[in-house]
Amino acid sequence: MKKRLLIAVSVCAATSCLAVSVSGALAQQGTEGGRGRGNRPRVALDGPVPRYPDGTVDLGGAWTGGGPVQDMEAQGKFKPGEIPLLPWAKKLLDSRTPEDDPHAYCMPMGVPRQAGNYPWRFVQYPTHTKATHIFVLWEGNIHSFRQIFMDAKHPADPDPTWFGHSIGQWERDTLVIDTVGFNDKFWFDRRGHPHTEQLHTIERWTRKDFGHLDNQVTIDDPGAYSRPFTTTYTAILQPGEEIMEYICNENNDYGVAGGFR
Amino acid sequence: MKATIGILVIGAGLFVSGARLAGHHAFSSEYDENKVVTLKGTVTKIEWMNPHAKFFIDVVNPDKSVTNWSFELASPNSLTREGWDRHTLTVGDAITATGFAAKSGKNMASTRSVATADGKALFGGTQGIQ
Repeated sequence: MKKRLLIAVSVCAATSCLAVSVSGALAQQGTEGGRGRGNRPRVALDGPVPRYPDGTVDLGGAWTGGGPVQDMEAQGKFKPGEIPLLPWAKKLLDSRTPEDDPHAYCMPMGVPRQAGNYPWRFVQYPTHTKATHIFVLWEGNIHSFRQIFMDAKHPADPDPTWFGHSIGQWERDTLVIDTVGFNDKFWFDRRGHPHTEQLHTIERWTRKDFGHLDNQVTIDDPGAYSRPFTTTYTAILQPGEEIMEYICNENNDYGVAGGFR
Repeated sequence: MKATIGILVIGAGLFVSGARLAGHHAFSSEYDENKVVTLKGTVTKIEWMNPHAKFFIDVVNPDKSVTNWSFELASPNSLTREGWDRHTLTVGDAITATGFAAKSGKNMASTRSVATADGKALFGGTQGIQ
């Protein structure tokens, strides 16, 4: 392993090439098949952004964060009351309690929510040429995936779904994901920020350095909010981490057995 | 031996860092963070499953009767990251478990920590939410 890395470093004189090599090495020297943090490689999180050979930013790695979990308002650094909820949506938010969170019923998180400290990955296909698809793989919650169709168009009238219909394109080094066609069932956070099927999200993912990935997200839902609003969440790389299995509904005490409402 | 030290260190670190681990559901809906119980008992069963692993212990009461308590843990993926595996506790182990008691009054708790008979300290990791 060491020998392979040394060869890679000596062959790659350019900075970008070195970044690719380190990224590749991380994938190999990891964690005994994803069994935890005991074997974490020491990596400078402020190191250079890794790139594929064609120059495209490599979003690879296991990340945590990058979206709201507990409270979109607080975590998005909004002032109290600053998020422009329509009166009915404010009333609904105030009536919600964490016990009714669809997330607790093992339902998908939707967009842009993330799951605390469970890691997730961007995976692109194909890997070493222009991607046609980018997938988000989540460990939890739930153990699911989302797909982004690159350089594509939205269908005219997509059926409402938990993750909606996502199209993506690169704007310089930022992956811009535009999503419509959501259902209204998921909550943006545990606090219960609501939305309607009119929801339209625009995520701008920018890998600032090796270990930090910004998600500047705009939420535009005229059904629940009086105007679009934007904030940024930052995902943190977890070197050596791997996605593990997490099947929320295996024995969920008050989830699937009771039925999602 | 190495594994034992690793678990000890991880456990100690987590006591400092607080709610590093989390389950997926609302802790506050089921458990009372102000009602801490510490019980000595013998492990009778381990359920290594999602979304929360559990273990059960027989606790001998002052009147010699025996009460079976269940202690909820974090999910297996989270526990694995913190050094646990499905063999960390085995049936027959004498342990001391500390946790937050259920609001319902049932004999169940959300595990804060476990001390094994040979002195290992383990973090249970269920307080808070994911």
